[in-house]
Amino acid sequence: MIEWIKYRRGLIIGIGAIILFAYWATTTYEPRVLASILLSGLTLGALYFLVTSGLSLIFGLMDVLNFAHGTLFMIGAYVGFTLYANPRLLLNTVPFVIAVVAGWLLAGWLPVKRIRTPGWLFWIGAVIVAMMAVWGFELAPLATTALSSGGRIPTEQAQAPTAIFVIRTLGLAVAGLIAGIAFLVGKEHAQQPLSAKLLVPLGMLTLALIIAPIRLSAEGWLLSLNSNTRFLLALLVGASSGAALGGLMEWSLIRPLYSRPIYQVLVTLGLVFVGTELVKAIWGPGGYFMELPEWFSRRGPGCPSPNLIAWLQDNCASIDVLGRPFPSYRVFIIALGLVMFIGTAILLQRTRLGMIIRAGVQDSEMVQALGINVRRVFTLVFALGAGLAALGGVAAAPFLGISPGLGQEFQLQAFIAVVIGGMGSFTGAALGALLVGLSRAFGDQIVLTGIQLPWMSEAMSFSPSIARASTVLIMALVLLLRPAGLFGKKE
Amino acid sequence: MSDVLLEVEHIHTFIGQFHILEGVSLKVRAGSITALLGRNGAGKTTTLRSIMGLNPPRSGQIRLAGEPIHGKPAYAIAQLGVGYVPEHRAIFRDLTVEENLRLAERRRGDLRRRSDFIMTLFPDLKRFYRHPGGKLSGGQQQMLAIARALVADNRLLLIDEPSEGLAPIIVEQIMAALRQMATETTILLVEQNFAMAAQLADEYYILDDGRNVQHGRMADLIHDHATINRYLGAG
Amino acid sequence: MLARLKAPQWAGLSLIGGLVIFPYVIAMLTGQPVDSGVPKFWQGMLIQVFILAVFAMSYDILMGYTGILSFGHALFFGTGAYTIGILLKHAGWDLGSAFVAVIVIAIVQSLIVGLLSLRVSGVYFAMVTLAFAQMFFLLAEATDFRQWTGAEDGLQSIPVPAWISPTTERLRFYYLALGFAIAMYLVARQIVNSPTGRVMMAIRDNEVRAKVLGYNTLIFKLIAITVSGIMAALAGALNALWNLNANPAVLSVATTINALLMTIIGGVGSLIGPMLGAGVIQLLGYWLNVLFGPSWPLLFGIVYILIVLFLPYGIVGTWRLRGTSWLEQWRRRWQELTVRS
Repeated sequence: MIEWIKYRRGLIIGIGAIILFAYWATTTYEPRVLASILLSGLTLGALYFLVTSGLSLIFGLMDVLNFAHGTLFMIGAYVGFTLYANPRLLLNTVPFVIAVVAGWLLAGWLPVKRIRTPGWLFWIGAVIVAMMAVWGFELAPLATTALSSGGRIPTEQAQAPTAIFVIRTLGLAVAGLIAGIAFLVGKEHAQQPLSAKLLVPLGMLTLALIIAPIRLSAEGWLLSLNSNTRFLLALLVGASSGAALGGLMEWSLIRPLYSRPIYQVLVTLGLVFVGTELVKAIWGPGGYFMELPEWFSRRGPGCPSPNLIAWLQDNCASIDVLGRPFPSYRVFIIALGLVMFIGTAILLQRTRLGMIIRAGVQDSEMVQALGINVRRVFTLVFALGAGLAALGGVAAAPFLGISPGLGQEFQLQAFIAVVIGGMGSFTGAALGALLVGLSRAFGDQIVLTGIQLPWMSEAMSFSPSIARASTVLIMALVLLLRPAGLFGKKE
Repeated sequence: MSDVLLEVEHIHTFIGQFHILEGVSLKVRAGSITALLGRNGAGKTTTLRSIMGLNPPRSGQIRLAGEPIHGKPAYAIAQLGVGYVPEHRAIFRDLTVEENLRLAERRRGDLRRRSDFIMTLFPDLKRFYRHPGGKLSGGQQQMLAIARALVADNRLLLIDEPSEGLAPIIVEQIMAALRQMATETTILLVEQNFAMAAQLADEYYILDDGRNVQHGRMADLIHDHATINRYLGAG
Repeated sequence: MLARLKAPQWAGLSLIGGLVIFPYVIAMLTGQPVDSGVPKFWQGMLIQVFILAVFAMSYDILMGYTGILSFGHALFFGTGAYTIGILLKHAGWDLGSAFVAVIVIAIVQSLIVGLLSLRVSGVYFAMVTLAFAQMFFLLAEATDFRQWTGAEDGLQSIPVPAWISPTTERLRFYYLALGFAIAMYLVARQIVNSPTGRVMMAIRDNEVRAKVLGYNTLIFKLIAITVSGIMAALAGALNALWNLNANPAVLSVATTINALLMTIIGGVGSLIGPMLGAGVIQLLGYWLNVLFGPSWPLLFGIVYILIVLFLPYGIVGTWRLRGTSWLEQWRRRWQELTVRS
């Protein structure tokens, strides 16, 4: 019994604290206020979960603490927003990315082994070709939306003519090819045989070229879609771009450094910097606000919806919770968080991939010795975690707005959640996120209404920054009581 | 004379800056049990890890049935039919017995096919099939670690100290299982418990300080008390 | 006496000498008076380098000498800046007392942050220190303390005593900053060469072994954090005097990244490396800014990542690894050339 208490000390302290807190909260706030605080907390908790879960999985499996996870969240938000509100920016840039990748992949089919020229010459060549291909390319008019600065530049004027666009695309494909050769020169590798696999890069290149003439009509088509469809597309595209970016990041920057773990962390910290600056360079330093899709924006007679079922019918912007309106979009965020939690849990518990991940968290070397290519699983998990974070970013965009500072804010809260929950534990990550979300919601409420201690004549109120900063104190408290976190295992 | 399945030639392996193996060589005949003996720190575990690709040798060659495998990643070596049972019973503690075994499948249905054989060798595993590996006793964990190497079709098993820290009666059980396994596969066994190694192995290699010192037939070594005392401590 | 000095000491002394006469050399070269125009501009540039050099060096006492990876070093730098700013501007303290207060606050802060964060190690420590730094960043931006901190605008126009005003007495400030950097370097060298410093390095190399040898590693890590915290705070305070303001950016992650960058470029695990790194970064940043305008931070970040990937030992580290063989090569080539001709 005593052993059990000792072993579960963190849990017991946690539950005790929650009971005390619940007592305080129920006696202080009336039920309807309490309900909206709790729901707000769940909303934030769901968003934090999307960042924390990936962070924790990646750390658990490959011991990499990804400081750029919040940056991926932010980039997801920007990409999703762009698809939703300004698809021409994506249509005019994504083909370039596809072309570079296609060129890179094509290098695998070339007889690189016979090349004796040193690799760095090819690198320089690739950079020069790429710079020539994008020479004079103007991003600013494409990035301008009706929302950001006065008036909108018509797409025909903002985007380059098809011929120039095609030349740029082909130029970048060549740059990718040269870079691919540079990468392979002097390495032990097998030249790819002619097979159906070759269709992948060729198909990508064709896709990039097909987009060129249809950019305008594709933009028109996307914008003519119903806002709900566009929103779903934004979630999908945002999440998958985040996943692609995460996979690329692991493959290119993290993988070469597994023997130097400190430098992995240093690289991810550098990516925070690069990611933020890149976003500023493309979308400008200012913020954007993403409009809610129709599902969550109807106002007028019959609103707020009396309950969740009624909302399915009338799509009101808010739902009545014990007599107080609560934004229906936040309910969606909570649901999204829940679905992703269950989905990830199923993936971890019920699939072979999940089994490999759980085993790898404990001993990735032994997984390798069983004949499983763990490195590939690493990349996959990195992509998965990044995708979750980016999905969270898109979901957060209509709720919190988008700005270059978004990433760091979520990174901080996710770190705190992870420290509270315990690193590498999926349940811990989820509960930590929930706790931080709830404490943020209560903190916001407290600083808003103010604190009135017995000896004070009037309540002392603060700004929301104080509530944000105070979550660090919770982290400090957990560190004092249980350094490994509530659910972490002692080392 | 049967064929040589595994051939290790003059491998040099480093861990960090430490030169652990200084030119170890050995041959394992197909269908035999070969024991790798020596004191603590002689380089036995590192030899197994080098073969498995977990600590790849910096120089020297390793061939499996004539095919060079040094320099290949560990998963590729495993896929060629090498099973590894690490020391300290490194099973996956948070996974159930079933999941531990399922993870070792290389083709769908491996486990179903081999299940009966494994369960007759280690009936305990059947009883705890859905329990987490971490909840098993030390002996059961060792059985699970060995069973895991039996799920896929492995030509060669590398087994590191299976008797370490186990009660004599469990050791008996594991020895019986190893003997049974040897009828259909080849085993390279690292063992501190000389009595056990002597009963099981056909041939032996002795390592000392990362070098070969002696090898031959186990039947001859048993009577060579001088060697046993010198390289293996009290026999 | 002079004859007994070794080559690196000669190099160090001549570097200091060069820096002492630098303002006058520039003045002579440009023909402008030493207290205005181009000479004044370059003095400013180097003042910034001296301040950042101390900041980077303090970071390396943690990272390079004790093996502690902190991502919250901006915390000390920024708090130093705010402390001196608030005390001079709002409390009307004199400079000397304000500097004493900076040191005292730095000690208290390092001990608190150290005791809490050192309950975890490795990357956890990095994560926790980052969280603490971000907390102070948020507090600095909070509107609640606008009357003291100036919230997101920062603390503007700090009243710096006229005799070291960075605008009118630039040359004096230059020598002050140079003296500060040299003094801090000597103090740091004293510490890392002391028995305490050797224990720090033992912890870096193998903490378990240091523990087994009977050292209370927590105490030594706390000492490292405190020493490093004090130096960073002093650098931050001087930075506030130099810029005449302190804004939330000094507490941001970018400030920590800056320290990291200077340390890595210069060379982890040496005192002079990070100081050289500070010079490289400051000048590189200046040129990138001139060449590429507003997108220079992006390039900066990319350069940082490339350096982490391909030049992990920095200037000093790479020199220590390869320097002698390079020298040897050059000497052989030189001999070949001279022999042939």
